[in-house]
Amino acid sequence: MTIEGLDLAILGPAFVAGLLVLATHVPLGRVVLQRGIIFIDLAIAQIAAVGVIVAYRFGWDTHGWEVQFVAMASALLGAALLSFLEKYFELLQEALIGVIFVLAATASVLLLADNPHGGEQLKELLVGQILWLSWSQLLPLAVMTVVILLCWFKAPKNVARLAFYPLFALAVTSSVQMVGVYLVFASLILPALASHGDKPVKALMVGYIIGGLGYATGLVFSALWDLPSGALIVWCLAVTALAWKILTAMVVSNR
Amino acid sequence: MFNQCIKHCRLLVWVLLIWTSPVSADINVFACEPEWATLASELGGDKVKVYSATTAAQDPHHIQARPSLIAKARAADLLVCTGAELEVGWLPLLLRKSANPRIQRAQPGFFMAAEQVSLLNKPLVLDRSVGDVHGAGNPHIHLDPERLLQVAVQLSKLMGEMDSGNLDYYQRNLRRFTEQWQQAMMRWRHQALSLQGKAVVVHHDNWLYLEQWLGLTRVAMLEPKSGVPPTSRHLSMLLSQLEKTPADVIMLASYQGDKAARWLSAKTNAPVLALPFSVAEDEKLIDWFDRLLAQLLEVMP
Repeated sequence: MTIEGLDLAILGPAFVAGLLVLATHVPLGRVVLQRGIIFIDLAIAQIAAVGVIVAYRFGWDTHGWEVQFVAMASALLGAALLSFLEKYFELLQEALIGVIFVLAATASVLLLADNPHGGEQLKELLVGQILWLSWSQLLPLAVMTVVILLCWFKAPKNVARLAFYPLFALAVTSSVQMVGVYLVFASLILPALASHGDKPVKALMVGYIIGGLGYATGLVFSALWDLPSGALIVWCLAVTALAWKILTAMVVSNR
Repeated sequence: MFNQCIKHCRLLVWVLLIWTSPVSADINVFACEPEWATLASELGGDKVKVYSATTAAQDPHHIQARPSLIAKARAADLLVCTGAELEVGWLPLLLRKSANPRIQRAQPGFFMAAEQVSLLNKPLVLDRSVGDVHGAGNPHIHLDPERLLQVAVQLSKLMGEMDSGNLDYYQRNLRRFTEQWQQAMMRWRHQALSLQGKAVVVHHDNWLYLEQWLGLTRVAMLEPKSGVPPTSRHLSMLLSQLEKTPADVIMLASYQGDKAARWLSAKTNAPVLALPFSVAEDEKLIDWFDRLLAQLLEVMP
């Protein structure tokens, strides 16, 4: 066990990034769970990555904001496709999301068959490492989070419903690059699972508390045991969610 | 609460540190690879405290971010890495996140081994189409004993400048290291005579300096371009090529996957040799190179 990693300057930005990701993913995750489209985030992230690779293939040497622009644009296109599928093939939607995911993932493999540098770029897009983040990098994520939350909670109900896919695409694309696809999936699904069956407002609170606890314990333990932070946070989120479920079940049965 | 908890822990750490630390080390060294960590401790002795970001079992091209990594980088006085873009995937991020002014580029505490020696395979045209090449040249210099010694001389000099009170100590250590290393090199040269001209297949282009120093002849590389996994067409081309000019051994670093190498070995009967790419923990550099050479001699007596 080591204690030197337990430094706010090291863990602070990662924790705040986690909170920003949770801010949008907890409400979105509830909808994902309700609609039964669990793997939509993987599909969207993968489509964003393909977009970047295609741009790169056509000789557009992307950097910084251009990468972001291409990634966001392709994620939005993917979102449009997914919402079209929901409209016309609702029953097959989960299967179609899966198909889109494997097609996008293998398309990037084919496009990058002879290019190791593109591979690095793809990896960066999918496996962002939460611990490398510094305060200045959090600013775009914070702005994006505020925009998404405003649209989600302030817009009239029917508009917000329509806006689900584009908002989801933006949220996932901006967070995947920061914290990686595993953490995005966990932040989306685990709090939603833990608060499943609760009333909307309570469910949100429960989701945020569990998410926050999961990130905090994950970061602290990763410092104490010196393990990769992202992977450990995923496990801590799962354990917190499970503990919450058991605890509430015990309280209910004791009544 | 989180904040407070950290404050408490920090206090505890300080108390423990002040209580238990014997003699404070003079230079905190952060090494990217085990070979430089070992070199730094062989040269710095008890005047340096060395941390290695990777072990011999890890691919130094890619590593996962762990909190201790950043903590060590923050506390470091001296950064010793290979350079030449080997750590380009993570070192810049780590340096930025560490915000440690002592070890940033162009500072005295920033030491890149590859910048102390001449590099082989400097590409004439830098083009992404030729694969995962390093613009500065092939960075895997620690496999050349001559170059390693050149790095040792420069590193020792830097240590003496950073901690001039112990200059004599560092110079003494360097003299001893040089003497032992040169004796070992003579022994290795003699032992390796039988390896001259042996035909080898390598998995990745990371054995270049060793091939040169030992006089091995590389007949093929499993990766069609550096960093790109072998394709079926490339493998079948290798196969027909190796039928004409058979290889004595297929070499790879022990941290690399050996699937492709085993496949080729089954078809060509050339043995697969997973070699220690770097020094193990608590091992001396000389012992590591002895071990490496012994493994080669075992399959190519």
